[in-house]
Amino acid sequence: MADFVRTYNAVLVFMAINGVLAFSMYAVLIAGQLSLAQAAFASIAAYTSALLTINLGLPFPLVVVVGVSVGAIVALLLGLPVLRLRGVFLAIATIGFGEMVRIVALNLDITGGAIGLRPIPKVVTLWQAYLALALCACFFWRLRPSKLGRGLAALREDEVAARAMGIDVVRYKLFAFTVSGAMAGLSGVLFSHFTRFIAPGQFGFERAVEALLYAVVGGTGHWLGPVLGGGFLTFLPELQRQLGVEAGWLRPFYNGLILLAVVLFVPGGLVGLGRPLGVSRRRRFGAAEKAAPSVEAASPAGPSGNGPLVRLEDVGKSYGGLAALANVGFCVERGEVVGLIGPNGAGKTTLINIVTGLTQASTGVVEVRGTRLRRTPANRVTSLGVARTFQQTKLFAHLSARENVAVGGHRVARDTFLRRLVFVPGARRDEASDLARADRCLAMVGLLDRADEPAERFSYGDQRRLEIARALCGEPALLLLDEPAAGMNHVEAQSLADLIRSIAARGVTILLIEHNVRLVMRTCSRVLVLDFGRLIADGPPGEVARDSEVIRAYLGTSADQPSSVPEAGP
Amino acid sequence: MQQLVNGIFLGSIYALFAMGYTLVFGVLDLLNLAHQAVFMLGAFIGWLLAVEFGWPLWAAVIGAVAAGAILGLLIERIAFAPLRGRPDAHFAGLISSIALAIVMVAVALGIFGPQTLRFPPGSFPSARVSFAGATVSVLQLVILAVAVTMMLGLNWLVASTRLGRAMRAVAENPRAARVLGINVERVTLITFMLSSALGSTAGILFALAFNSIRVEMGLAIELKGLAVIIVGGMGSLPGAMLGGLLLGLAEVFSVARIGSGWRDVVAFGLLFAILLLRPHGLLGRKRVREV
Repeated sequence: MADFVRTYNAVLVFMAINGVLAFSMYAVLIAGQLSLAQAAFASIAAYTSALLTINLGLPFPLVVVVGVSVGAIVALLLGLPVLRLRGVFLAIATIGFGEMVRIVALNLDITGGAIGLRPIPKVVTLWQAYLALALCACFFWRLRPSKLGRGLAALREDEVAARAMGIDVVRYKLFAFTVSGAMAGLSGVLFSHFTRFIAPGQFGFERAVEALLYAVVGGTGHWLGPVLGGGFLTFLPELQRQLGVEAGWLRPFYNGLILLAVVLFVPGGLVGLGRPLGVSRRRRFGAAEKAAPSVEAASPAGPSGNGPLVRLEDVGKSYGGLAALANVGFCVERGEVVGLIGPNGAGKTTLINIVTGLTQASTGVVEVRGTRLRRTPANRVTSLGVARTFQQTKLFAHLSARENVAVGGHRVARDTFLRRLVFVPGARRDEASDLARADRCLAMVGLLDRADEPAERFSYGDQRRLEIARALCGEPALLLLDEPAAGMNHVEAQSLADLIRSIAARGVTILLIEHNVRLVMRTCSRVLVLDFGRLIADGPPGEVARDSEVIRAYLGTSADQPSSVPEAGP
Repeated sequence: MQQLVNGIFLGSIYALFAMGYTLVFGVLDLLNLAHQAVFMLGAFIGWLLAVEFGWPLWAAVIGAVAAGAILGLLIERIAFAPLRGRPDAHFAGLISSIALAIVMVAVALGIFGPQTLRFPPGSFPSARVSFAGATVSVLQLVILAVAVTMMLGLNWLVASTRLGRAMRAVAENPRAARVLGINVERVTLITFMLSSALGSTAGILFALAFNSIRVEMGLAIELKGLAVIIVGGMGSLPGAMLGGLLLGLAEVFSVARIGSGWRDVVAFGLLFAILLLRPHGLLGRKRVREV
């Protein structure tokens, strides 16, 4: 064993260093962000730390701290402007940043230019490298089940829905980016103090792609992925050497093939192949369920102000020259169940998007619980106690039903990550109560027995009910339902009506958008009618159903034939 | 004046490369990072045909273009087609195209080795033309002519032919295009083939212009190509042309003013400025996102 370690010391250390780099990639991938700046962060940290060691002779632990901090700070500074970009644009911007860093390192005197820096004392030992790797692994092990970890997963699955659940998307992305920078920095410090020599070429685009390679091949579904990916792919060339096959082109060749095969055929990566790990997690969730104390009713929380819950005054919204809404004004009082109906394209969803902060009104005043919305981001509106469902369901497809609902509880859940990280028992209790709350909401919509199934496996009607459970988990004062009955059959719609009534009975105010007029008439105490962006009726269901303008909007008949709408009766 | 001519010349090659990039992005909303490998292989294949097989230069160029089209077909089939319908297709396609590029570069490295290949002396006509104080070789003029012809040809194709109309329809909405009877699969394949043909043309022209062919040549232009399409506007063909020319000129003048070491900072500085100030580029369209 000792012999083995001595012979393969370098390979073993590199396996750990590359694993740390893989973790820095993992940090952004689990938040759904494809950033390729890891090599650049590593480079900046490597140069900074090497210069500190060479010129100032600082002790190594201090150098590590500085290197990690530098990586984190640079990532934060880059992230502030760049994280507004989505998808490929973020990838391109970070590639560009990496290239700039390389060019700067190539041209400065202090970095030694193309020749690089040497000699850097070799101080990294095997156990230090593995300690670093273990710390990174531990970080993500503790992160995943916390509120923060769940939020990052939600962000990866669907950014808009994550925002609507009250997650501050920008802050979460910045967190992922900063962690990524810190870990890349760590790998850079280890690298420079092990190889004794650094040059700009070692941190170019190829190195960034290597980080991606390790993380993706290892798999992003589990915190062990980067360890496996970094280890496996670093060990392969050694194996190749042992077999006596020497060719410069061979390593990139099989690396590329492996990456291609993983992306196309095993999206879960190496950890995805070993499913048993998933089972243990499920068991832990099961335990949380049992730990849940007696079921207390979910009740709406938050400050109870006076005045209307929602107030719209003269609201207009136009897209280009097209007016989606014009002069819309109404209030929703506490405890009401208000129906919002209108033909397709009448502006119903636009209205909901305005009330939830996903879009801004062009003109007019929007107030939610006394707070005037002016470019207020959706997550802030949610924290006022507003929850919604989407017309086209926006669930977090790969997360379990329970996790979906737990994300919905973001507003009322306590942050547990830092306490988890140092194993404070209170964190565990908080998490158990979060999951218990999620389970209660699942039970309300009758999906508790399928809590562990991923949302993508649910039928259309069940997905809609799951969305309602997710919205309820935030214990909202106001619940906006965007066509919850769409695609439901008669029986399902009937049970939905019962569900809506039971939610209302708990004191939740509801704004229901629906095409199913019968459902609206049956559940709502008041009905608003939109037509071509204008509010044409506002009143009790029976009255609205007899309104001549409403009948004309719906049936296109002239006002003197009111008898043709018997269907709309209560 | 000489600088200006050099800048236009270099810029036209960048533009040609970037148009291939942006074509795939504009029509299919995919970023194909294997495009750089096509550029590199186009140069190698042209060299192989001209030097090893003794083809005349014009035939070697045509051969390289054809080979590029075939590479495009392979890239689509291997790296993108299997992902169709997967919710993470954009992400996964980016990564799988990087993977395929690594493989292609490795294969080139295995076949041609790491050294720089050159065309033997006397391969090119040596005539030079002077006008308005600048000197241009006939070769450069031919390269410029080929690049400009191909760019204009592509613009015409997309703007005025049945195929181009189908491509624009797919760009607008693939599902609707399918309903209207457009063979989306075929349009996708053709788009990739056209794109790669442009990439490989840019590769062989670059090789002729600088008489230097290396395995790493794709990487440098890939990063510049990204800068070009961002600056010009993702998915915009005229934008890619404009961006390519701008970058070519900026590089030539920055070499003259601030030294060659810092040349590439200009490209990426431009990239950043545009990304942050005007993410849809100079000539790109703002996409309206549906909630």
